[in-house]
Amino acid sequence: MYVRMNMTSKRALILNAKDNVATVTEDVEVGDVIMAALERDLRPVTAVENIPFGFKVALTNLAKDAPVYKYGEPIGKASQPIRKGALVHIHNVEGLRGRGDLARAETAP
Amino acid sequence: MTFLGYERPNGSVGARNHVLVLPPGIIADQICHFVRGTKTVMSADSGSGRTRNDRATIARTWVGLGCNPNVASVIIHGASLGGAYPELRADTLADRIARTGKRVETLHVEGDDTLDAISEGIRRARAMVHEASKLRRRPFSDACLSLGVKCGASDTTSGIAGNPVIGYVFDKLVQAGGTAFFGETTEIIGAEHLLAKRGVDDTVAHAIVDAARRVDEKAKATGQDIRTINPVPANIAGGLTTLEEKSLGAIHKSGSMPIQGVLQYSERPTGRGLYFVDNWMTMTSIFMGYAAAGAQLVLFQLGGGGLMSDAIFYTSGGVVAPLLWTTANQKTRDRAGWLLDVYSGTVIEGTETISEVGERLYHTILDVASGTMTKSETLTRITPNQVYTQEPMF
Repeated sequence: MYVRMNMTSKRALILNAKDNVATVTEDVEVGDVIMAALERDLRPVTAVENIPFGFKVALTNLAKDAPVYKYGEPIGKASQPIRKGALVHIHNVEGLRGRGDLARAETAP
Repeated sequence: MTFLGYERPNGSVGARNHVLVLPPGIIADQICHFVRGTKTVMSADSGSGRTRNDRATIARTWVGLGCNPNVASVIIHGASLGGAYPELRADTLADRIARTGKRVETLHVEGDDTLDAISEGIRRARAMVHEASKLRRRPFSDACLSLGVKCGASDTTSGIAGNPVIGYVFDKLVQAGGTAFFGETTEIIGAEHLLAKRGVDDTVAHAIVDAARRVDEKAKATGQDIRTINPVPANIAGGLTTLEEKSLGAIHKSGSMPIQGVLQYSERPTGRGLYFVDNWMTMTSIFMGYAAAGAQLVLFQLGGGGLMSDAIFYTSGGVVAPLLWTTANQKTRDRAGWLLDVYSGTVIEGTETISEVGERLYHTILDVASGTMTKSETLTRITPNQVYTQEPMF
């Protein structure tokens, strides 16, 4: 697929083919086209909100409870639906390990 | 490859040539204030009111620091509060260190007068430092080196570039016949299955998974979501979203070599190669543990994107092992680059590869092992350390 590079395109890194998020390597503003790179393969995604350097962008739409993959491994699940191009962070993803809060809920009388 | 080191009687090779004074407290502090070339630990924990297991850990840590190749000779004084427990007695500690063949002196003073002990200690420390200064560095193989690493204030640059560069260095050192330690058990949760595959046998694989499970169970017992504890706020502010994400980035610092064993805090390995240490992440504890296990040099791979200040840099955590700082975060470099030893963010910028930066870091490590100071080593300040104890206090 041919993608036109322009001045507003921003860089992001995809670490594994299985990933559904990428890490932006520069500050991204809403409307910017992010060229998310998996090695030499570039996948464009338009930011639907601001995403700071080092934070993650969704590469696809994610349903609530969908696993989030980075490094080809699950890093948690979507705690609400996430749009392609949205910031992926603690407001819309929860971890699955070390969840003492859930352990307490399970054992509550 | 080679570095210039100090040969010890047991064949180990030091990157530094310190005189160590222990246990921590006023006597050790004052001797070290008076005599250059000395080191001690600053800690409030004497072992008093600690269980047998915790006292054994404290004793292993003091003995391990004394045995570290960076230490030329050791003074152990007998006036620590915990020193009446059998495993923490001055003579017991001194005997264990003396097995290395290095000079160890115990300091017992008539009437146990603290000021007398300090003045006698100063006399002896001056003589020991003077004697140590007669040693000369000679070339030795990098196979004689042991490194320990911690990644901290991690952010997403850590897993993408900073830790993989450390991993390259670990692979190179292990392939050369050296020894490398990584750990931070909380930060393998979510990635333990990947490490377990690299255990040299099933026992090691199971020990890795068990270590992660024990911490996971402890976290659940708190009744709190671990994300309110770890990832720490600086991790979250730096873009890390869950503990699993942090762990999957953190394990990159271990490289790709087989894992020879799982060690306890400050436990010395029986062989060479790569070891996982079942320890706690804090920089006030982990580096001292690596030094006690024999590391001549410790590495702090910093994210830093979410840090509130640069106060973290003013640490002396390795006690006798110099602390070397790396970061892959360009904002951290711009803010505090003069406090850092190696920048690896060029991997993210696309101007260098992981192996190119890794080679640069490896050469820096050999330089530091040969006597070049790390940035943090230029400080006189000694920061408090804590032995990683895990049992209740009574």
